Amino acid sequence: MEQKGFFQTKAGGLTIAFIVIMIAFAMILAGLYMGMDALCVIGFVLIVAAMLYSPVDVYVIHRKDKR
Amino acid sequence: MNIPVTIFMWVMAFLPIAVLLVLLIKFQWGATEAAPIGLLITIITGIFVYKADVTLIAAESAKGIWNALIILLIVWTAILMYQVGDEAKAFLVIRNGMRKLLPNELLLVLAMGWIFESFLQGITGFGVPVAVGAPLLIGIGVQPMWAVIIPLFGQAWGNTFGTLGAAWDSLAMSAGLAAGTPEYLSTALWTAAFIWLWNIIGGVAICWFYGRGKAVKKGLPAVLILSVIQGGGELLLAGVNTTICCFVPSTISLLVILLLGRSKLYREEWSVENSPIMNRKFTSQGADETPKDMTLVQAFVPYFLLSIITLVVLVVSPINEFLGQVKIGFAFPETVTGYGYVNEASESFSPLSIFTHASMFLFVSSILGLLFYKKHGWIKKGGVKRVFAKSVSMTMPSGIAVIGLVIMSKIMDGTGQTVVLANGIADVLGVVYVVFAPFVGLLGTFMTGSNMSSNILFGGFQLTTAKLLAVDPSIILGAQSAGGAIGSAVSPSKIILGTTTANILGSEGKVLKKIMSITIPATILIGIIVFAVVGL
Repeated sequence: MEQKGFFQTKAGGLTIAFIVIMIAFAMILAGLYMGMDALCVIGFVLIVAAMLYSPVDVYVIHRKDKR
Repeated sequence: MNIPVTIFMWVMAFLPIAVLLVLLIKFQWGATEAAPIGLLITIITGIFVYKADVTLIAAESAKGIWNALIILLIVWTAILMYQVGDEAKAFLVIRNGMRKLLPNELLLVLAMGWIFESFLQGITGFGVPVAVGAPLLIGIGVQPMWAVIIPLFGQAWGNTFGTLGAAWDSLAMSAGLAAGTPEYLSTALWTAAFIWLWNIIGGVAICWFYGRGKAVKKGLPAVLILSVIQGGGELLLAGVNTTICCFVPSTISLLVILLLGRSKLYREEWSVENSPIMNRKFTSQGADETPKDMTLVQAFVPYFLLSIITLVVLVVSPINEFLGQVKIGFAFPETVTGYGYVNEASESFSPLSIFTHASMFLFVSSILGLLFYKKHGWIKKGGVKRVFAKSVSMTMPSGIAVIGLVIMSKIMDGTGQTVVLANGIADVLGVVYVVFAPFVGLLGTFMTGSNMSSNILFGGFQLTTAKLLAVDPSIILGAQSAGGAIGSAVSPSKIILGTTTANILGSEGKVLKKIMSITIPATILIGIIVFAVVGL
């Protein structure tokens, strides 16, 4: 059986999601500091996307694979 | 604030919590999957119902991430500490050693699941007792799910006055109670009295889980003695010094349980063979792997170091002041919703004192423990790398859930949803509200994962409500903080610390369901007592 690399596992995917959230955190802070609302919005969208990775992966993508 | 407190607004504010509970309990989703859904609903409600703009939501999200990072530092270092012990097979030594000291299995479970957690809660808190306690219980043969449930009960009573009184101080601060005043003393005593009741319930519940009526009968004398020391001691000391009134009794109880193990009642080997919480297969495992030359004291070295380092840094003022000089925090501007709900600007939001933070104590103890074990040859070749690799892969899933839950609570707070929730309850119920006062505290901890945050969030509200209803604020504030302490047993962000270190991530719903069967009646009981006292 082919062995999965770390970033192909659930923990790996969540690690990427966590890194995205950290980048988004820095973007929001920078946006607030410089008064650039667009940066805050992009950061916020990134957070939502990263947060939704797990439920989408488990209950949408993985469920489809099972079928 | 001009937010209309209507049924629609209240229902919309409650919706994320309801959905979170349904997904966790009814559909058995893991917190990593359920938290983002709750968060998404909170965001939609915040923008479209509570008239918050995206910048406000983004700012609250950033605050949430920062607060979550502070919590996650503890999770990560607690897991590191667990991995160090696991790699050195120290848990096998602890299991065997404690068995010899406490031949009564029920007393052993009480010691490892209640008394040791109380001790840890007295000094560190922030979920450390749950994260550290779960693998210890698995080490003595408790099933993983119960190894998470028991420490949640064991640590809960210490949440208000534990961590050297951090949550109590926040209640006093948010309710404007000046130390030494009659109101301060009265509130401290009511809080400690309610917590004592919860402490007894927690001890009896652990016995019940272990072996139903048979175990309750056997364990009741020990539970009563230990509870008099913990809960009674806290009540006694609350009138003298609120900083150490949890730590001192919990330390004494740690010594007393070892003495109880030598008493006539508990010195013989005793167990309930068909105990629903024990994994009988597990207890026969690992005998060959146990390091023969490791003593019980040596196995506990990282925990002793944790206790010593924590105590020295937190209690010795010059050291605390020196190390506390380094603080990291970020500035946030003022934000306002369309309803005029203001989030004040902060020059340094929730600053992290990195060198006096529990995570630093855990990290230093883990590294020193690792060096100690390695020096004695208990960490095999490649073990150090394994410890760090396993720690990283074990922590990420819980990280996302904690971030989601904390952001959710920050957005609810920042858009005024939390205030509407609390005001709505008080407006509708009138004086009957006092029955629900502890539930508000519980709700606060459920949402934020912290008794301290619950007291900050609702302390002022409870005081205002008590005055509006013309009842003694001391008892209401006591119920608030006691409810908050009970809430620490059902808080998803605390549960997930245990499921992570117990390696049963995704079982948060099952754990929550079991715990709620005790916490909800206990909270109702406190509410009824409050109602009875207020009505007298």
